[in-house]
Formats: sequence, C-alpha cells, structure tokens
Amino acid sequence: MDLSLLFFVKILVAVLAIIALMVANAVVMVYVERKAAGFIQRRPGPYEVGPWGTLQAIVDAMKLLGKQIFVPANVDYVLFFLAPVLAFFPVLLLFLPIPFGPYLTSWETPDGIILILAFAGFGVLSNLLAGWASNNKYGVLGAARAVSQSIAYEIPLILALLAVVYQAGTLDLSVIVEKQGSWPWGWNIVCQPLAFFIYLVCLVAETNRAPFDLPEAESELTAGFHTEYSGMGFALFFLSEYANMLLVSFVCAVFFLGGYKGPILDGFWWTFIKAYLIMFFIVWIRWTFPRVRFDQLLNINWKWLLPLGLLNLWITAIVIKVVG
Amino acid sequence: MPSFNFVNPVDFLNMADSPGTYAGDFYTLNFEKNATPGNVILNLGPQHPSTHGVLRVLVELYGEYVLRSEPVLGYLHRMQEKMGEVKTPYQFLPNMGRVDYLNPISWNWAFAGAVERLAGLEPPERAEYLRVISSELNRISSHLLWWGAFVMDLGGVTPILYAFEEREKINDILQIVTGSRLTYNYFRFGGVGADADSRFFQLVEEFIPYMRERLKMYTGLVTDNVIFRRRLEGIGPMDEDLCRRYGATGPILRAAGVMCDARRLSPYGIYDRFDYDIPVGPSNDCFGRYLVRLEEIRESLRILEQAVKSVPEGPVIVAKAPKPTYKLPAGETYFAVEGARGQVACHIISDGGKTPYRVKLRAPGFSNLSLFAEAAKGVILADAIAILGSLDLVIPEVDR
Amino acid sequence: MTEARITEVLKKAGALRITRPDWKKNGLRLSAEIAPEKIQEVCSLLLKEGYTLLDLSAAEFQEGFLATYHLDNFQDPFRLALRVLIDREKAEIPSVASVYQGAEWHERESADFFGLKFSGNPNPVPLLLPHDLPLPPPLLKKPEALASLSALNFLGDELYSAPPEKAGDEDRGKGDGKDA
Repeated sequence: MDLSLLFFVKILVAVLAIIALMVANAVVMVYVERKAAGFIQRRPGPYEVGPWGTLQAIVDAMKLLGKQIFVPANVDYVLFFLAPVLAFFPVLLLFLPIPFGPYLTSWETPDGIILILAFAGFGVLSNLLAGWASNNKYGVLGAARAVSQSIAYEIPLILALLAVVYQAGTLDLSVIVEKQGSWPWGWNIVCQPLAFFIYLVCLVAETNRAPFDLPEAESELTAGFHTEYSGMGFALFFLSEYANMLLVSFVCAVFFLGGYKGPILDGFWWTFIKAYLIMFFIVWIRWTFPRVRFDQLLNINWKWLLPLGLLNLWITAIVIKVVG
Repeated sequence: MPSFNFVNPVDFLNMADSPGTYAGDFYTLNFEKNATPGNVILNLGPQHPSTHGVLRVLVELYGEYVLRSEPVLGYLHRMQEKMGEVKTPYQFLPNMGRVDYLNPISWNWAFAGAVERLAGLEPPERAEYLRVISSELNRISSHLLWWGAFVMDLGGVTPILYAFEEREKINDILQIVTGSRLTYNYFRFGGVGADADSRFFQLVEEFIPYMRERLKMYTGLVTDNVIFRRRLEGIGPMDEDLCRRYGATGPILRAAGVMCDARRLSPYGIYDRFDYDIPVGPSNDCFGRYLVRLEEIRESLRILEQAVKSVPEGPVIVAKAPKPTYKLPAGETYFAVEGARGQVACHIISDGGKTPYRVKLRAPGFSNLSLFAEAAKGVILADAIAILGSLDLVIPEVDR
Repeated sequence: MTEARITEVLKKAGALRITRPDWKKNGLRLSAEIAPEKIQEVCSLLLKEGYTLLDLSAAEFQEGFLATYHLDNFQDPFRLALRVLIDREKAEIPSVASVYQGAEWHERESADFFGLKFSGNPNPVPLLLPHDLPLPPPLLKKPEALASLSALNFLGDELYSAPPEKAGDEDRGKGDGKDA
C-alpha cells in the first residue's frame, strides 16, 4: 500500500468532500422525500420556507441543532453519546472506495467491496448501542430487531454482490464498472437480474427503510432504537440513515447499473443520476407500502432471498466455468 | 416461542446504578403481580402513536410475544354520566357530540331518541330523513378515518391522507346543517336543529358516485396489497362466542358472521323503509373486520341514495319542542342505535325532577376493547397493534 | 314465543319477579328481579340461550342500589333487564365476570362510581377513576335527593312473582311496590 504523504492528503480531502456530500445529500433528500411524499399523498409538501419550500431542510436542521439534548434517567452516558457518533462516522469510510467517476475515486483499492462490507457492520452496532444505552424498553426491542435484521440481510446482500464479483473476477470497483461497458445491455442488471433483485430488497432492509423499517417501526415501538434521542443525537441518526441510503445506492449503481459509464459522456454525473434514481425508488416504496411483520421479514430473508442468492451464485459459478 | 430470555434493561441498569429508583405506578405494580419474572412489562401508551389518543395498554412480553395484556383506561374520563345527572336533558345534549367525536350523530340519536321515547315525542318525517342522512354520512366519515388510521398502524402512512380528502367533503356537507365540523350537536328532542337546503341535498347526491369511485381505488391501493393482506389474514380471530362473552357489537360481531345490526333487527327511526344489506364478514380476523367496514360504507351510500331522493317537505321539529328547562316524565328507558363502532345506547332513569335521575351511556368501544386482552394473547407485538387497530377505538368514547 | 321461553328460563333460575315493560316507552321486553346470589346462575343460563351482556348500569335508590344488567340476543333481539337490588350497607354482589368476561369492566366501572363491591371480580382495581381518588364515589346521591324505587314504578305489567315464602324471607324482595 502506498502510504506517502500525498496519499494521506488525498484521503483527508476525500473525507472532507464526503462529509460535504453526506450533509448536502441529507439536505437534498429531506426536501425530495418530503416533496415526493407530498406528491404521493396528494398534498403540497413543504412550501413555506424559501421558494417552493426548498429551504425547509435547512430550517429543519437548524431546529435540530438548537434543540435541547434530553438525557433520560439511568442511561449509560458513554454509550448513549457514542452511538450516534458511531452511526455517522464509519459511513465516511464506506465512501472511500466508490468510483464516482473515471478518475474520481478516493482510494483505489483492489479490495474495495470488502472494505465496504466490513465497515457496513458498524451501522448495526450503533443501533444496538443506542437501543441498549437509552434505558428504554422500546429501544431495546428496536435494537434487538435491528441486529437480527441487519445480520440476516447482510448474507443475501453479500451473495448478490458476490455473483457480480465472480463474473467480473475482481473486487476492485473501478474494474467492475469498466467491465460492464457503456451500454445498458452490458450492465449487470441485464445478466444478473436475480442478483439485482436480491440486492434491491436487501438494500431497503439494510437501510431500515419502510416497508422494512422494523427497528424504528413507529406504530409498534414509537421510534425503536432512537426513541430517546433528540436534537443532534437524532440528527446524526437521521444523517447516517440518508448517508447509508446514498452508499447502498452508489454500490448498486456501480455493481449493477454500469457506474460512471453511460451511452455518452462517461463521468461522475452518470453515477449520481443512477444512484439518485435508486434513492427515489427507496423513497417511493416507503410512502406506498405498509410495513411487514418481523417474522415475515426474517422469513423473506431466510426462506427466499438466501436460497435464491445461493442458487444465483451457483448458476453464476457454473456458467463462468463453462463459458469462461 | 423462542427460548430467548430477555433481561429487563431497567432492572439491569437499576442494579448497576441506583437501586430502587424505578417503581412504576399503581397499575403497573398491579399488573406485575401476575407477571413471570424475567419478562418485560411494556407500557404501550398513554402516549403512543398507535393507541390513537390516550389509551394505555400494559403488555407482558416474552421476546416479542405478548403473553398478557391489560388496557388501562381513564386518561380521558370526563364523568359524562355525572354531567347527565346535574344538567337538564337539553343542557346535556351537546355533550353527546363530545362522547365520541368521530361518530357524534349516533350519540345524538341515542340520547335524543331515549328522551323522545320517555317523553312520547314523535319527530316529523323530514326530520327523520335528515337524521338518517346525517347519521349515514357520519358513519362513512368515521369509517374513513378508521380506515386511514388502521393502515397507518400497519405502517402505510399514505392512505390516511386519501381518506381525509373524502372526510373533508363529508365535513363540508354536514357543516351546512350542523354548523360544526367535528362535535356535531344536530339533534333536538323531537326533531333536528336546522333544516337542510337544496345545496345540502345536491352535495350529498354528488358525493355518492364520487365515494363509490374512491372505494374502487381503495381496493386497488390497499385491500389488494400483498403485504397488507399478509399482515391481516388470520390475525386476531374473534368468533361469535368471544363477542357474546364480552358484549362486542358492530363490525367486530358482523365479521364473526352474525348479522346483528340495530338498524335492521330493532329498527329505529325510519330505517325499515330503505333497501340495504347488512354486510357479514367472510372471516372473523382483522381482514374480515376491515372488509366489513368498507362494505358498510357501500351500504351507507345505498341508504343515502334512497333517502336523498325521498325527503318530504315539512317541519324539522315538532311544534311543541321541549324547552331548555324541560322536565322528563318519571320512568325508565333504554334506547339503542347502531353507531359506527357498534351498539350505542342510552339508559335513562328519571324521577320526574329537573334533571334525569341516572344517565348511563353504553359505549360500544368499551365492550369492544375489553376483549382485546383475550384476543391478543400469545400474538406478536405487531399483531397486537393490528388487533387494537381493527377494533376501531375512540378513547373518549371508551372512557366517557 | 321468545318471551314465554325466557320467562320459563328465568323462573327456573329463581327470578323473584318478572315484569313486562312497555317496549314503546321503555325499550325493554322483559324485566326480571333477581336475588343477588342468583345472578351468576341466571347469567350462565342466559348465556346458553345466546344472550350477551351489553351493559350494566347501577343506580342508587332509597331501597338500596339497583344494578340493571342489560342483556340481548344477537340473532333474535329481545332486550332483557335483570335487576338486582343490593343492600345499601353491604353493597356487595357476586361478580358475573366468570360467565360474561366482559362484565369485568362494567363491574369495575360501577364499583368506581358507586362504591359497590363485586365479589369474585378477577381484577378489582379502579377502571375509569384514579385509584387514589380522595373523594367519595361520584354518583352517590345525597340522602334527600334519593328517589324511592317503589314510587317510581317503572317496571311494567307483572307476569310472574315468586311464591311468597321464597320472596318473603328476602328482605330486599320487598322494595318493588308493584301493586300501584
């Protein structure tokens, strides 16, 4: 590994840029989500603050910043305050290996996807700590749900990505993008439709979004693991939720939708367009479907996605052996 | 059930930090007496997103399984029955709009009807028609709000806003005659408060086909959704025997296959003049109750259609309507109507004095909620929420 | 027809007096006076007949507390009122929650409002009022405001009255004053 000073400067700049991206993404997504929800629910959505309500997200953020952080009795102070931080910061690392554009990768590593999958586990750790430390039974139930859900859905997610990795023969994200080519029929969504579908389901479950938002199911657990968080603690969870959404959307764009490649003008704009289409899809289904039950959620995973993922992997392996 | 022992985090943390600070209130301690050590006692409510108001349900959880539950009432208790005893019937009538704010017309009818029975008043024809029209409109609006709230309990946030669109139209219509949009006080002893104009009837006529169209959309949007059906089918079966032991009425009972509707079986007002069906559920689970309520909206529309066409001209209140100081003649009466949630009834005992001697309000939600503890035994927490939602509770009515 | 059958059932269960109120005015088909210790038995017989307990409304009179159990049948509506006159000093009545589980709440409500005791109620804690309410039960009336049950006479035409030796030794059976 190249550990020169230049490398560190590059990583530092990248991390700063990623933080900016995450915050900008949250601001944009709050607005998009609320407007989309308004459209789906036949109401205007935010329209008071700024033109067409565009400043709503900023005002929301200011409100959260200005709010008192209420600490309930008998909490575990260290873990209570560590959890939102732990939810937010590991996500930074996950963006490092993503090839946004042809020459726009923070850290070109041959094992990019391993890094992402390894650090993605921090998200669930923070949920667990938040639920446990906040001395709230809803929190503990939410944390327990978060852990079993994330652990369960990580397996088919990895299996789906693994099929693509088999096909590409590499763990390097840039190479995977390059191998897919410029035209949509060359992208992995065409030759790995099952893996794409599995990934899409797992993506919603991994980011704890409706209809799989069991850890924070508001009609059962009030707010699940972040019941007791207010102000900045809540804002960090909120930020990390959108950052996680963005991350899985980028991974999806890279693995299945040709990344920065497009029919014309390769560049980071293609990655962003594709990722935000996926983001919009996540928002869309959130406002459309009711929530599944917890046992149903696990059944979907263990009885359908996992066998399908294994089958897909197996078929991929055979086809590669026979054809390649 | 999973063999997964849950340590109560509160106990755990208390042992570590400050022993003895956690005690729980009277009801928690009372509930805890019968709890198995190691299980979690969870307070759903009084402030909880899906108890719709201030219902509090104590549940004993083993993992996520509800072993036992006990609703705790009284957070919205206003002692309506005492108010009935210290006010003249005329003064007490507006309270009826507050007992159940989502279905006030039925309560109006129950109390006004009981007083009329005792006083021997016979409302004029036009008033009877207006009573039926307002009552059915109110039933639809109540069911609509339930529909949205129920789907929201299951995590679908969008439909309630669709339901509000229709509810808004009904509010507009009822506002013309009642003057209010929520706690209607429309009925008077011997008639109704205000006559309806042609605009009212025209709006009702326009509303009927519109609502039918919307019901089709509801089917496509929610009823046929696979997640929604999986959440409801087979959950919380309540058979006739259970309903009988708990006195549950309304859509719960009809979903259990019993055609019991006060409008049909012991007709009051002019309900015997209309041609309509009493929907009886295909199944006695949450989904059956859901379908029965949607079907009831359709039947209410049928009643409305017939009623609007045949409203006669004439006065809307009897010539010698009771004055505010009206004294009820001595005697006893029991009058039941079919509200949106079940049988709404009023039991009045009068000794001929200025105020009634005893007013007892029979709230359907009270009896319907009392079966929750038995129906929710051994289900998952999410199902318990679905069962609670399918009971269609309005807490002010339960607590009175 | 229903009336004859239900009258028979009530007679067998030991009703003290059965009357037929005016349906048009009272909204009740049949009213039966039951001795407090018989109420459970009557309820279980009526449950077998398909009756449900819709409501329990208590009221205070000079003669004591009158608990009225409103029962009805789902398929064949025939509204019954079972009246139990409860001694003022004892204010205790057997609970019917073992027959009609829904009665538990109705009884707790009456206990809140009137201070009645329902012996055998599975969960005898206040339901609607706070457990530490520093006031007497709210629906109790002042002694001068109490009405006389016999003067009110809302029970209707008499259909049946228990043989005098049975009703005679029951002190509370006298409060009906039916012969007006």
